[in-house]
Amino acid sequence: MIMKNIYKIVGVAVLGFMTLTSCDIDEVGDLNGPTLENIIDNSTKGDIQDLVGGILSDMRVRLGTYYDDVGVIGREYYRFSSSDPRFTSDLLGKDKAVLDNNTFYTTGPWGARYGTAKGASILVQAIENTSPAYSEQEKNGLRGIGKTIQAYELLLNLNLTYQGGIRADISNPESLGPFLGFTQSLDAIEALLVSGATDLSNAGSEFAVNLSSGFTGFNTPATFLQFNKAISARVAAYQGDLSALSGYLTDSFLSLTNSSDDLANGVYYVFSADGGDLRNPMFFALNASTAGVRVAHPSYITDIGATDSRRSKVAQRSSSITSDGLSGDYDFRLYTTDVDPIPLIRNEELILLYAEANHISNPTNAVTAIDLVRNAAGIGAYAGGTSPAELLDEILRQRRFSLYGEGHRWIDMRRFDRLGDLPIDRVGGGDVEPDDVWVQFPIPATENQ
Amino acid sequence: MKKHNHFCKMKILLLLIFVPTLLLAQETITGKVVVESTGEGAPFMNVIEEGTNNGTSSDIDGNFSITVNSLPVNLKVFALGFAEKTVSVATAGNITIQVAESTESLEEVVVTGLATSVKRSNAANAVASISAEELVGSTPPPTLDGALYGKFAGAIVSANSGAPGGGLSVKLRGITSIAGNSQPLYIVDGVYIDNSSIAAGLNTVSGAAAGGSASNQDNPTNRIADINPDDIANIEILKGASAAAIYGSRASAGVVIITTKRGKAGKTSINITQSNGFTQAIRLLGVRNYTEQNITASGSFDNDDLQNFIAARNAGRLVDYEEELFGEEGFISKTNLNVSGGGEKTTFYAGISHQNEDGIVKRTGYEKTSLRLNIDHKITDNIKLSLSNNYIQSSSDRGFFNNDNTGTTIGVALTSTTPWLNLFPDANGVYPDNPSGASNILQTRDLITNNEKNKRFIAGANLDVNIYKSDHSNLKAVLRAGIDAYTFETLALFPKTLQFQNPDNGGVGGVSAQGTTRNTNNNYSGFLVHNYFTDSNLNFRTQVGLTRELFDQNSVLTTATGLVSGQTNLNLSAARNIVQNRLKQEDFGFFVQEEINYQDKIIGTIGVRGDKSSNNTDVNQFFYYPKASLAVNIPKFGFWSLDQVNELKLRIAYGEAGNFPFFGANTTIFTNTAIAGLSGITLNGQLGNTDIEPERQKELEFGFDLGLLDNRVGLQFTYYQKKVDDLIISSAIEPSTGFISQVVNAGNLENKGFEVSLNAVPISNDNFEWSTFVTFFKNTSEITKLNIPAFNTGAFGATLGTFRIEEGKSATQIVGITPNGLAVLGDAEPDFQMSFQNSLKYKNFDLSFLWQWKKGGDNVNLTALLTDLNGTSADYDDIDLDPAGVLGNGDYRQSQLGVSARPFVEDASYLRLRELGLYYNVPSKILQNWFGKIIESAKIGFSGTNIINVFDYNSYDPEVSNFGSNGISTGVEVTPFPSSKRYLFHLSVSL
Repeated sequence: MIMKNIYKIVGVAVLGFMTLTSCDIDEVGDLNGPTLENIIDNSTKGDIQDLVGGILSDMRVRLGTYYDDVGVIGREYYRFSSSDPRFTSDLLGKDKAVLDNNTFYTTGPWGARYGTAKGASILVQAIENTSPAYSEQEKNGLRGIGKTIQAYELLLNLNLTYQGGIRADISNPESLGPFLGFTQSLDAIEALLVSGATDLSNAGSEFAVNLSSGFTGFNTPATFLQFNKAISARVAAYQGDLSALSGYLTDSFLSLTNSSDDLANGVYYVFSADGGDLRNPMFFALNASTAGVRVAHPSYITDIGATDSRRSKVAQRSSSITSDGLSGDYDFRLYTTDVDPIPLIRNEELILLYAEANHISNPTNAVTAIDLVRNAAGIGAYAGGTSPAELLDEILRQRRFSLYGEGHRWIDMRRFDRLGDLPIDRVGGGDVEPDDVWVQFPIPATENQ
Repeated sequence: MKKHNHFCKMKILLLLIFVPTLLLAQETITGKVVVESTGEGAPFMNVIEEGTNNGTSSDIDGNFSITVNSLPVNLKVFALGFAEKTVSVATAGNITIQVAESTESLEEVVVTGLATSVKRSNAANAVASISAEELVGSTPPPTLDGALYGKFAGAIVSANSGAPGGGLSVKLRGITSIAGNSQPLYIVDGVYIDNSSIAAGLNTVSGAAAGGSASNQDNPTNRIADINPDDIANIEILKGASAAAIYGSRASAGVVIITTKRGKAGKTSINITQSNGFTQAIRLLGVRNYTEQNITASGSFDNDDLQNFIAARNAGRLVDYEEELFGEEGFISKTNLNVSGGGEKTTFYAGISHQNEDGIVKRTGYEKTSLRLNIDHKITDNIKLSLSNNYIQSSSDRGFFNNDNTGTTIGVALTSTTPWLNLFPDANGVYPDNPSGASNILQTRDLITNNEKNKRFIAGANLDVNIYKSDHSNLKAVLRAGIDAYTFETLALFPKTLQFQNPDNGGVGGVSAQGTTRNTNNNYSGFLVHNYFTDSNLNFRTQVGLTRELFDQNSVLTTATGLVSGQTNLNLSAARNIVQNRLKQEDFGFFVQEEINYQDKIIGTIGVRGDKSSNNTDVNQFFYYPKASLAVNIPKFGFWSLDQVNELKLRIAYGEAGNFPFFGANTTIFTNTAIAGLSGITLNGQLGNTDIEPERQKELEFGFDLGLLDNRVGLQFTYYQKKVDDLIISSAIEPSTGFISQVVNAGNLENKGFEVSLNAVPISNDNFEWSTFVTFFKNTSEITKLNIPAFNTGAFGATLGTFRIEEGKSATQIVGITPNGLAVLGDAEPDFQMSFQNSLKYKNFDLSFLWQWKKGGDNVNLTALLTDLNGTSADYDDIDLDPAGVLGNGDYRQSQLGVSARPFVEDASYLRLRELGLYYNVPSKILQNWFGKIIESAKIGFSGTNIINVFDYNSYDPEVSNFGSNGISTGVEVTPFPSSKRYLFHLSVSL
């Protein structure tokens, strides 16, 4: 009897097991975030707000590397990092070192900018399928935001690869558009900005989403349009199209005044110490060690006037610092806390773009603009010649100090073919080659070009 | 073998019932079976009248009684764990039969199915086995995986660093996956064991991944380290798909099957082992010989440095900070108690172990307590229940090492720490800031916490039921269930007082990163095994089974910054960031296997496994993995006349196995982000691929086993060819898509190699025995097909040397820039590996040692470069690298930066005295004189690990991995926790 009962028990156990090992498996799905399909096909207005917040946040990813790329090659400052020698070797072209097409300084910012651009293109898709639906005006506003930001992100990448160009058509990951030449790339960016401007012009008086505090003063369709035009102005300057530049400046937030508030007026990347947020990647504490520091290029101090208030963009160290044969006494000090905002574009640049727009056609206006900046810096009015060449020299000089560390020097010198004027720190000798000033970054290896 | 016993017993039972009524003349033999070494009765031994089915078994005291037809007879006495013995009995009445315990008999079976095993002599695969003696007999390893070095052919075992608590990579027969799992599946007593490495969130501080190396550089342990090696009776290693196909989709990296010790009926045996010792760094790099000249000449130092150097030198204040940091001798203590025994129906094994080790860096260490209770109970003669329970609590403090981008890890900070700095705390315990670096290494060492704690419960149940038996067939059911559940906590604490946390220095005011991972694996399986024998001793064994596995892991990591007044609680902080990551997987499989054994002459097996998984896009699609094998024992055919050759087996086996795509490979998802109070979602960089399929490994192995002179000399040779199709690769896609990578099935790779092992007992007499075991193996890999462009992976880019996956090339090639473009600079794959294991017994002394030689195989070593850049390399001024003989090594390496990666790719060969043990067994006479009969045996001894290390490699140890265990990128070094050697004294007593 006992045996029989035991067999029954075993029988039940076997049956139980067969149930446990039953055959169908349920789909688990992804447990760790909303899927792309969900966002594109079926999002709420809250999701769209999150998408916009994500795009604005993404604009800052790897921004520090971008600024280091252009700032170090532009001989604005040195970047020392005891755990990464490539800031002082590859970027400065030490001896035989060259820029690599598969290293973080090439791939990191490039990928991050395209990531943001992709987010913007997803935004433009997703607003068509929300429930409840947006009004056409609201959609226009969101499209305008998306296209403007996408254009700006593409411009930053084009700044790196220059004649190597960029892909402008990125809508379909399966079939990407071709790499365009430099001029075509700029044209494509301009076209995207123009299209965004049209959308913004038909977007009513309010956006359907909130923007970050970096867009304070630029968070309505009308004011965001001024930002769009300011970016367009920069693009026109890069195109060398001075008349287009004038036109865009007119529609931008250019203000020909020189109070420091006005010079600083613009759109900013903002940061905070909150969880999930980023801190200002361009900040290091004063007197930081070679573990991680940005040291002003000695020429900045040598070349700037003794009374120029823009000297405050660097700060004297308690002791000099040396690494890899490079030394400096001044820290890069544009930002004094790790949550200071970083400008995307601001009025001081627009004023100098205005000077550039006029330096051939209307030297008087150019000098007026230059003097706004000079007086703000406390160095008095411009007294030099007013030939286009002399004015250009002066504009580039003021851009160097006014926009120090904001990612312009290298690009300015390049667009006027003056890279050869940038200082060479390690002149080599014997078998050792002097440092190089690179013209452009290689296209990242992973683009398979 | 076990089955055969049951079969016999069943027949015995029938005979005992029926035979007496049929027979007229009978003789009864009574007697006792005793164990030769102890004189104790040997319970439950099978006693069979040779040449018949007549038999019985001994009772709990070893007594038996058997009735035979006529005298004289030969009685055969046998059981698992004892050498078989045959005695001739001429007269009825009492006899005593002595049997000897045999360790070899434990090795004689190897698993081939999920519910069955086969005699080793009939196995068609080169399945490696490691006995308890081989595992821990020479010296107790710090962790289980650390005991596998050199113990068998075909495995590359490599430690990731010297940090206490483990962290090893085990690769069987070459690299088997590039992006998927490449670590073997561990199964302990039928329970699928999780072997995750879970990061503690140090990246927040180190910023190691900020440079774009997404891989984890936190140097976590992997969780197989939890298993206590002392509880293990036997490990079997299925090195590839040909042996492991029956494990299907989880088996492509091989399977490590661990069987823990179980009780034997009879006297309760108690063993206590205490080991104490210390650990010390195997190598320190030393300090550069600084002079006024070389400081002045260096681009790393300025005049302040020079003046400080002169002042410190003149005052005798130069400090060797490397020695200060790594010069500790860590104390090791290990206590092990096990008790086993039981009666006829129930047996048990209990193991209690406590291990406490300090590292070679202050405030690092490892502590583990393991409790095990294994119980076997015979419900009836035909139903047996086995339970295995293990509770483990472990804690490891691992310091703060490896790569960073902030100059804060102790390793990186040491590279810029010069002897003239004063980093010691003042009388008030206040540490000075390091003026030439971001952090003060002594302060970091003394104030940070990087702790991993695990509480783990592993339980398995196994029910064996003999459903039906007859002379020619029997049927057995096996039901199995297992749970592996743990709660793992990490604590990374960086107080505000640290130089790099101080807000005045740009710090974030302290970091407290606390992580909790709850992991539960459940596995259930049921099998039916049917045996059918013909009269000509042809055996058909059929097994079918179903398996189901559930995996559930949930990790939450909260990182708080801006800690309030020295607190560590997460809420007492200015800002918090939380990351939660969940994994869930459900697999279902079935298998069918048929084994045909013709008189142990020819043994053939075919089988197939089918698997489906929730990790596949179509969750209910089955993937099938077939296997087939054949073994031929030539001497059994009888035409063999060479007496010296007692075994010659030819074997060939083929099998397929899989590797699932990892969780989430088929979806594109957003993750959270925020900008100044505005929250948002952002793509995580991976483009999902709904077409992703499991990798498929196809392995063919063949070889022979040769046994000479009654197995005193054994030679095994195996050649294998292992192809992995549909390689899962996290492929970099054009970044202009907005994504960084996509998981794709993008190619095939092939591993080919051979393994030779030779075991011999060259000398064996009453006083002296020498046994030796030599292994030699070699593997080469090739990416035979790649559907995506060749790509660099697993290191820091071509400037510094990187792995590169490229069609037609070795899977583990290392390339880098050179003046002539990208060139192959090395290969992580060793030319060969060899081990030489010896055991010598002289009277009461046992000496064992294990040499391991890894020839070739390259690393990417960036430690030297980082010290060069800071002018601190010990060999900075030596001139032996520059071909022109002009530049010192430091200057030369720097001159090559951006020019050639060649100086950073180094040969990582080594020769080590991996294990050494010398023991003295106290003679039983002495024990009896001193302790009476209380102590049965005692031994004392000395042992060591890594005592002799020979290598040219320019750092602490060629065995190193900045990126942890998985994938191909082992062997990349950035300022690791240095490796250590261990010395231990032992006292072991059995009651």
